[in-house]
Amino acid sequence: MDDNQSILGLVEALKHREISAVQLVQDCFEGIEQLDEKLHCFHETYPHRALQAAESIDGALEAGDEPGPLAGVPIALKDNIVTSFGHTTCSSRILEDFNSPYTSTAAQRLIDAGAIVIGKTNCDEFAMGSSTEHCAFGEVCNPWDLTRVPGGSSGGSAAAVAARLCPGALGSDTGGSIRQPASLCGVVGVKPSYGRVSRFGLVAFGSSLDQIGPLARCVKDAAWLLRIIAGPDRRDSTCADLAVPDYLNGIDQPPENLRIGVPKQYLSDKNEPAVNEAVYSAIELYRDLGAEIVDIDLPLTEYGVATYYVIAPAEASSNLARYDGIRYGRRAPLEPGEDLFDLYAKSRAEGFGPEVKRRIMLGTYVLSAGYYDAYYKRALQVRRLIKQEFDAAFEKCHALLGPTSPAPAFEIGAKADPLSMYLCDVYTANTNIAGICGISIPAGFAKVDGKHLPIGLQIQCKAFDEATMFRIARMFEASTDYHTKRPPGIGDAVMRGV
Amino acid sequence: MTTSASIVTTRLKIGMEIHVELATKSKMFSRSANLAHPDHYDAAPNSLVDPMVAALPGVLPVMNKQAVEMAMMVGIALGCTIARVSKWDRKNYFYPDLPKGYQISQYDLPLCCDGELHIPGADGTTKRIGIIRAHLEEDTGKLGHELPGGKPYNGSLVDLNRAGTPLLEIVTHPDLESAQDAVTFGKELRNLCRFLGVSEGIMQRGHMRFEPNVNVIIRTDDGNEFATPIVEIKNLNSFRALRGAIEHEHKRQVEAWAEEGVVQATGLKSTRGWDDARLITVLQREKEEADDYRYFPDPDLIPVVVSDEWRQNVAARIPELPMQRRRRYQEQYKLSAKDALALTDDRDPCMFYEQCVDACVAGRGSQAQVGSACAKLLLNAGAKRANERGCGVHELGISPGQVAQIIELRDQEAIGSTAADELFGLLCDSDDNAQAVAEQHGLLQVRDEGQLDRWCEAAIEAQPQAADDFRSGKAAAIGRLVGQVMKVSRGQADAKAAKEKLTQKLGRG
Repeated sequence: MDDNQSILGLVEALKHREISAVQLVQDCFEGIEQLDEKLHCFHETYPHRALQAAESIDGALEAGDEPGPLAGVPIALKDNIVTSFGHTTCSSRILEDFNSPYTSTAAQRLIDAGAIVIGKTNCDEFAMGSSTEHCAFGEVCNPWDLTRVPGGSSGGSAAAVAARLCPGALGSDTGGSIRQPASLCGVVGVKPSYGRVSRFGLVAFGSSLDQIGPLARCVKDAAWLLRIIAGPDRRDSTCADLAVPDYLNGIDQPPENLRIGVPKQYLSDKNEPAVNEAVYSAIELYRDLGAEIVDIDLPLTEYGVATYYVIAPAEASSNLARYDGIRYGRRAPLEPGEDLFDLYAKSRAEGFGPEVKRRIMLGTYVLSAGYYDAYYKRALQVRRLIKQEFDAAFEKCHALLGPTSPAPAFEIGAKADPLSMYLCDVYTANTNIAGICGISIPAGFAKVDGKHLPIGLQIQCKAFDEATMFRIARMFEASTDYHTKRPPGIGDAVMRGV
Repeated sequence: MTTSASIVTTRLKIGMEIHVELATKSKMFSRSANLAHPDHYDAAPNSLVDPMVAALPGVLPVMNKQAVEMAMMVGIALGCTIARVSKWDRKNYFYPDLPKGYQISQYDLPLCCDGELHIPGADGTTKRIGIIRAHLEEDTGKLGHELPGGKPYNGSLVDLNRAGTPLLEIVTHPDLESAQDAVTFGKELRNLCRFLGVSEGIMQRGHMRFEPNVNVIIRTDDGNEFATPIVEIKNLNSFRALRGAIEHEHKRQVEAWAEEGVVQATGLKSTRGWDDARLITVLQREKEEADDYRYFPDPDLIPVVVSDEWRQNVAARIPELPMQRRRRYQEQYKLSAKDALALTDDRDPCMFYEQCVDACVAGRGSQAQVGSACAKLLLNAGAKRANERGCGVHELGISPGQVAQIIELRDQEAIGSTAADELFGLLCDSDDNAQAVAEQHGLLQVRDEGQLDRWCEAAIEAQPQAADDFRSGKAAAIGRLVGQVMKVSRGQADAKAAKEKLTQKLGRG
């Protein structure tokens, strides 16, 4: 690949003053200007702030200072990661005008490392969705085919990276919301192990599942970003008190005696044929590279979506109760005679979109007296079994290989039935349920109606073993060129300064 | 009435839920300052608020270790088992004083279980009150309808200062049998919390709130027993309200039973409030509605795991508790049960008493001797003035050193009991040495034979009848004469010497 286009390449080029941070930021905004009217990746951008930051980074670099490991690199944030500047809306009407007084740990670590936040990207409302169609401010389009979805819920972040509007972005992944859009947009997306990255300042959806993670154009960039945002945080009790390894150290060395597990459930005949073909090719490639391929049986795979759609909505129903129109966010005007109940009901009815309402109702139901045992408690039991199943699998292999999504990008509006949308998460939800880590990397294309639609390969490793995951992903990436392919029309004009 | 039988006895059965606000530095799950900490009692509305307290998007709760340790101290002092693993649950409901839309509480795995508190009776005996559990949670904010300064406001105002204050909820078995029991229990628990330093227990500030569950067991002359439906009385925040509400419920429930004959049954529990103006309880909710709080484990918090080491460490910090001090005073100082109780029923006066004892010991003398002398002085001269001035004995202005000096003067027989009392009063407003003040005010006993003689003469002159009585064999009449000597000498005479001198003078020596 052209190293110049990667985050690591940019860091070097900036350090050696081959380009300036100001130029880079201007290029980003030029690209956004040209393309984002069609793509609609960004909800808002911060050109003034970003240019100011770029100037100060350039000044520091000129002076020979070390302004951090991401000095001058433009980064986009999913619009559910709070910053003390701009709005954080979660792509919801209820937070349309919300300004956070504080910045999330992950965003602050990026900023402290010298990264320049250029804007907030659109997502499915409160990260609930797999297509970024459930965005209150309009859907995001897939750069590979504007009639198709970018996946979701971090669709804006994935599409922005794919369209070269920025070299990297943060998303959040509760059941596949980083990996699935990465797969559908042909970029790298990482769901870190639960507890690897602080959730402080990530607007909660399913608290026991949510993780912030990077999206980038190659594995090393994603590893570099993760290393910067990861690590203990006293403001998040669920954040692991574990040191973060230097993921780049040895990333090009394949793990010794590598055994790659292929769960037979992952190569279902319900997948698009092109998806299975890509996974088979990947298996062959790993075999050629010397890995031992191990057959794995994960019979609980099929219960993942059902389990996920009990636990995540249950937590969401409680997490979203704070949007009540009392302290901040949308408050509906009341008619004479209306009371507190009307204030709640009207504000929430106006503020939340249909998918969010559906999940709040679902979650309220499964936690209700008389249903708790049958749904929520049972789901927690299944969750434990799924964890055990992964534990057993990782006794036999270093990583599990399979497709990220059963199909490439679908057409906007094609999955009006919620259940068919939920099934997009079939290979990703269990990663979150078990708290392990997963990465999606570009692994081929499906040719549909003359268009090339990216296919993602998912590699899952045991909790806190991201280092192995990156090395295995890097083996594939080093032998293929899928990650270098650009969507049609995304050419050299964009980011020409790079 | 369902029966023609008449009532023989009625017996109250009361279980209590007590909420204690813990005086930690910061709130239960955030770094924001705590309204229940003395430094922040009078904070302006909504000044103790941070993103967590206001439940802004993206915030996460972080457990306050100090609150957990305070709760453990109370649990250990109540003889509870401290759970090795307890957890946090969300109690979901909507209300404007509840910013997150849920309260973080402990549902099925509380921090403390199975304890007891022995409440003292007036006769020196104690009664055991079983504790079912004690768990931690967070307090809510407050709704007001007045603007600062008291101007009425047409709407509701939310003050989140109290939101997130650590609350310890203690639940008792229904072992309390009277309003007096409930009040004694409440006071004893408050005192315990004060000794432990976990709460100032100021009722007016809502540091403690009581919710008694009350019903009555009625026995009729045909040998039957009936239990009236349980009534929960919400949010009582004074001992007066607690007593009044229970007494009123006792009467009301017996009357209701006599009229309607309704007895306890599932779903019949009702909720009532206390009307402080009319001194009656008022129905709030007829039947136990199926409140569905959708409790579930809070995924933002990790379970509380208490190791033996941690528990022992916290236990080691528990000071001597009121009941233990009471026992020690009786054994060591030979105090009566009544006096021991009086000295320990509030932390600060009790601490003052112990400082006085220490000051005396430092001067000289054994603890056993001075313990009793200090107790007498504080419970008489001290209590009288504390009562007059409406403060605690520790707030009178007299120092433990001065108290010790009075005791010493008494021991040396340099002052009599009347003088000691007067001296105590003088020292409340003086920083001077007791000896100097006593001299200055002529309180020291006069050992001058001539002076004593003159006082005795004056007494006999003033009380001729008493003198005659004594002369004619009524020994008791001497008391009146000695009293007269003390009066004319303003306490400076030595009563014993006066008695000898008078006896001598009246020819019966």
